[in-house]
Amino acid sequence: MTARSDFLPPGLLEHLGGLELVARTVVRGFQAGIHRSPLRGAGEDFAKHRDYQQGDDVRHLDWKVFARTDRLYVREFEERSNLQAYLVVDASASMEYAGAGGVSKLRYASYLAAALAHLMVGAGDAVGLAAFGAEPRLLLAPKARKGHLHDLMLNLERLRPGGTAGAADLLDRLGASMRRGGRVILVSDLLEDDGGDALVAAAGRLRARGDEVIALRVLTPEESGDAAPDAGLFFDPEHPRREVPATPRGDAGYASRVAAYYGSLADRLRERGVEYVPVSTAEPVEQALVAWINRRRG
Amino acid sequence: MITFGAPAFLLAGGLAALVPLALHLIRRRPSSRAALPTARFLSPDPRTSVRVGRPTDLLLLALRMLLLVLAAAAFARPVWRPAARGTASVVLLDRGAAMAGGDAWPRAVTAARQRLLGPRGEALGALVLFDTAATVLPPSQVTPGRLDSLAAVRPSGSESSYAAALRAIAPATGMLPEADSVRVTLVTRPQSNGWNDGLAALRRAVWPGAMEMVALPDLDTGDGEIVADNVRAKEALYFADALEGLSYAKPALEAMGWRVRMTSSTDAVLDSARLIVVGSAVQGGFAASLDQAARAGATVLVAAPAAGSLRGIVPWAGAMRVDSGGGGVWLASGAHVAGAALRVSGDAARGAAVVASWDDGQPAAAARRLGRGCVVFAATDLERGEMTLDPEYPRLLDGLARGCEAAAAPSSISRSTPLDAGARAVLRGTGARVVAARTVPGWGGGVPLGRWALGAALLAALAETFFAYGRKRAA
Repeated sequence: MTARSDFLPPGLLEHLGGLELVARTVVRGFQAGIHRSPLRGAGEDFAKHRDYQQGDDVRHLDWKVFARTDRLYVREFEERSNLQAYLVVDASASMEYAGAGGVSKLRYASYLAAALAHLMVGAGDAVGLAAFGAEPRLLLAPKARKGHLHDLMLNLERLRPGGTAGAADLLDRLGASMRRGGRVILVSDLLEDDGGDALVAAAGRLRARGDEVIALRVLTPEESGDAAPDAGLFFDPEHPRREVPATPRGDAGYASRVAAYYGSLADRLRERGVEYVPVSTAEPVEQALVAWINRRRG
Repeated sequence: MITFGAPAFLLAGGLAALVPLALHLIRRRPSSRAALPTARFLSPDPRTSVRVGRPTDLLLLALRMLLLVLAAAAFARPVWRPAARGTASVVLLDRGAAMAGGDAWPRAVTAARQRLLGPRGEALGALVLFDTAATVLPPSQVTPGRLDSLAAVRPSGSESSYAAALRAIAPATGMLPEADSVRVTLVTRPQSNGWNDGLAALRRAVWPGAMEMVALPDLDTGDGEIVADNVRAKEALYFADALEGLSYAKPALEAMGWRVRMTSSTDAVLDSARLIVVGSAVQGGFAASLDQAARAGATVLVAAPAAGSLRGIVPWAGAMRVDSGGGGVWLASGAHVAGAALRVSGDAARGAAVVASWDDGQPAAAARRLGRGCVVFAATDLERGEMTLDPEYPRLLDGLARGCEAAAAPSSISRSTPLDAGARAVLRGTGARVVAARTVPGWGGGVPLGRWALGAALLAALAETFFAYGRKRAA
């Protein structure tokens, strides 16, 4: 109960209560839900007409169209089914960074993941949890039970930053274990040693399977250059020996280089149909979620 | 007041302490070390590691400088002394056998008095009396009365060892803690038997400056005659009242290399004899001749039967009566002869050295210098008793015949020549006669602070390590 309250403060729940997370792609599922299913014929919502083929159930023939056009068409319906989703949280060493705001990126990512899990489980979706840092780990298999939310919160709570593993391996493992048409929400700073090439490729493979992939990029203002720190000897937590004497505040190119990196990464992800959502830890969690979901629906 | 035995280390330490100061000043380093996951996008800016214009980490800097200064101070041999009271003297006074001739000894004591006593009789230093060994008299014992009594006694019969005297300089200097400088004076009649080649190094080691030498003159006849005395042929003249040809002493002395001429006449010429043995009573007027011969360099050996007639010159005190049947006699050299026929009571006279003892430790023979020669008294009859049959009998006679020479030395003629000018120059040394006390090796003045400085340096090192580690952790 404590963990749940910690991750989902009443204010956040209040803000998120009227929202409905609508998946952009149609997924395949077993339970009836709010998402559209690619399995047509047994559902309630009309999908489209198609030519009659031998063997089709004559009950699905659209006789009105036949009367108007003298051709046989079959009415197809969309099934409502639940979604199988994975929350993938980056727990690498860089996520420990908190900047001047006080909340580390990992903590902020946990807030996001918890809120999304709450929403999706509330919508009847099966939600699993995976993390990567020291190594890629599948922490919880996707389930739709309400009690599963508690386990998910506990696992989020236990995450500790460390390691330098990238997301690509974990995404590939998810692709091998999930049903097709699932959803993968990656919450990460997306700082990859290879510039994100492996991540983009892995996300592309998921998309090719028909999965929906959302990348929530979490960054502090200090990292993005919005509140660059003073002069100092800086090092990457994932590579502590690489020290750079610098003055970020006076480095005009710093923010643009960061923006260029994420801009390039976002472009490549979008090219593969991945939804890229930049989030700043300076922004309230619920505000970020509301803005994002509204953008999706609008 | 703190003085330093090796002040050059202080200078070196001061210069070394400037090194961490300079490093703290010129070191280029960033103001802080911080994590930033997007550090890869930073462009290196050398200005962030600018030279620090003023010392940073003042505590660490102070500890590092303190560490170096304390370590240097420890090596500089710091000594704390309450106050300094000018120059003190150490007088090395030779009391060996060489000082016995003429008025050398009173003159030597006078020279020592002039250097050790102030105008009101206060002590100005320490006195070292030496022959084969040295005795150090601290300033508290250097008094006019003590010097008077010293002048009254005769020097010892031993050789003079300059090595013993030189080694005594350090302990003598250590008895002068309140002096800031010291001078050393050697009062001696320089003889070569107190010298050896190894003394040159010892001399340089024990005293860094020059040493005043009060060289008393040799005897009036000159140094060469002393040598002649020592190497004079072993001619002996043996007086006996009846010459029946029966003498045990004569063949025994001849066995030891002496050429012995027996006589019963007091008119015999004494000049050529190096040894004159008086075995029986002689006429009273003969004593003057013997006295003269002794002063000329001869050794007069008086046996108990002649003691009564030569009471004026024998170095013996007491009733001189025959007490008992004698016994065993120990010579100072270690030879032992048993079966002496009689034993004369009494003791060695003042200024005489005991050269043989009875088995019970009482003196059996005594010797005393007389002029350039010596008078020896044997408190027994040398021609009677079973001792004449003892195998050590010749050695006993030879030992007594050597008289005032070191009785303990082997039976050979000792050579002693005046110390040559080169050796005297080495003894004197070079440099200042007045030397700062702190530069004297082994000087015990004051409280040495070197260990304390070293301990403080170790503490500073520990503190520096502690704070440096803490700072690194914090960074």
